[in-house]
Amino acid sequence: MLELQNINSFYGNSHILHDVSLRVDPGSFTAVVGRNGMGKTMLLKTIMGLSDRMRGSIALGGKQLAHQPTHLRAKAGIGYVPQGREIISQFTVKENILMGCYARKDGKKQLPDLVLDLFPYLKDNLHRRAGLLSGGQQQQLAIARALAANPTMLLLDEPTEGIQPNIVEQIEQTIIRLNQELGLTILLVEQNILFTRRAAQHFVMMNNGFVAASGTIAQLSDDLIHQYMAV
Amino acid sequence: MLGSLLSGLSIGSVLLLVALGLMVIYGTMGVINMAHGDLVMLGAYVTVFSQRLLHVPFLLCLPLAFVFTGSLGWLIERLIVRRLYSRLLDTLLATWGIGIILQQVIRLTFGPELQNVSVPVFLTGETRVGGIGMPSYRLAVFLVSVALLLGVVAILHRTDLGMRLRAVSQNPQISACHGIDVNQVRAWTFALGAGLAGAAGVMVSGFNAVRPTMGSSYVVDSFIVVVVGGVSSLAGTVASAALLGGVNSVMAWLTNDVLAKAVLLLLAIAVIRFFPKGLFSAQAR
Repeated sequence: MLELQNINSFYGNSHILHDVSLRVDPGSFTAVVGRNGMGKTMLLKTIMGLSDRMRGSIALGGKQLAHQPTHLRAKAGIGYVPQGREIISQFTVKENILMGCYARKDGKKQLPDLVLDLFPYLKDNLHRRAGLLSGGQQQQLAIARALAANPTMLLLDEPTEGIQPNIVEQIEQTIIRLNQELGLTILLVEQNILFTRRAAQHFVMMNNGFVAASGTIAQLSDDLIHQYMAV
Repeated sequence: MLGSLLSGLSIGSVLLLVALGLMVIYGTMGVINMAHGDLVMLGAYVTVFSQRLLHVPFLLCLPLAFVFTGSLGWLIERLIVRRLYSRLLDTLLATWGIGIILQQVIRLTFGPELQNVSVPVFLTGETRVGGIGMPSYRLAVFLVSVALLLGVVAILHRTDLGMRLRAVSQNPQISACHGIDVNQVRAWTFALGAGLAGAAGVMVSGFNAVRPTMGSSYVVDSFIVVVVGGVSSLAGTVASAALLGGVNSVMAWLTNDVLAKAVLLLLAIAVIRFFPKGLFSAQAR
């Protein structure tokens, strides 16, 4: 489904990603792990076309996206839940979700039932200003916004970072459900190894902008974690 | 006193009229359009041209000028401003240059002399408001600026373009990540702001002499209005136009026009000193 080949990506003049290649199969769940500052977020941003400059190939279902502007990548079926949530704080909850619909292929503006079922809190607070929500609620909103586009795959950047523990559990369950019950392909950037092992089928270990290791989740050994993630 | 308040209202409505387009562009894209005053001037010349050569009735010049300067604004964004986003000083210089070019083009085609437009008879008399006579034309300016303001509010909050525009003004990258064509939205926003400048120019042409350099004073006034009101706040722009218009006319009534202008500038400086983000700044989350 998503295939990256020899991605080199730059932020200003800094060369952040070096020859990154990876393949995400339809319906699979891949976790990108590694220490802070190793290029995980940059990988997702590069897929969305938010890096300053890049070389290499990004193909989604055989369609080449590397030279497409960001909004067309979203329309091609990639939903993005950025680090720090980045919801539009002055919009209401409803407006934030509807904003996701601009990436729908049919262009219709409607609140998807799925989203309202997954997040009852949002359903009951559609007219609240999004800036007033707690971090966890904003994270749910960011996921809801990405789902409103009916994406074929979802990129999630540390969705449980800095969120109160009782909501972390809910968000993790939702992400697993999206993959297992609804067949959504997921590429997750995560530091939490317990959650990664529970949810993902494949992993990619990033180190200094290179792919240090990758494979099935069973191959994500304690040694690897010790070598690349211990602080 | 009531008379000077009414005149303050009308000065305020001119300020609002001219500031509206600047605010739309500055508030949503962070681009200070130095050509704004010259787009106002162009709107005034559209009136001169349409009246003299096409014999178009005065009020019909409003949509004409809106479409003409709006299209020009769209072109300016596509060809020049688009390449300069996030480079504030470069957009200042580039739009200033565009303004100079517009001025010279008009000087070469219409000549440097003053032009007059004829105002329809029903706008030349006086209308009595609350027992006080007020020039009908001033009242018309007030009504047109309120109508344009309501139009802008409706576009921002009731239309699809408005929703995309508000999203882009808050977070362009994330807007793009959700399928919004940011470049397209910016081009339409610039067109809207430029169109509003043109419409303002039509109304201005009815009470001020039309000449190629008339834009400069308007760009300064409207910029003060936008900054005092708080960038990206429509309510702030309205409030500051009313405040500055009111202060201006009360001071002019108490003393004279020159002193009134000086007091206005002092007030603007004081506001910026104590509320650097303007009277109504968009609150952070």
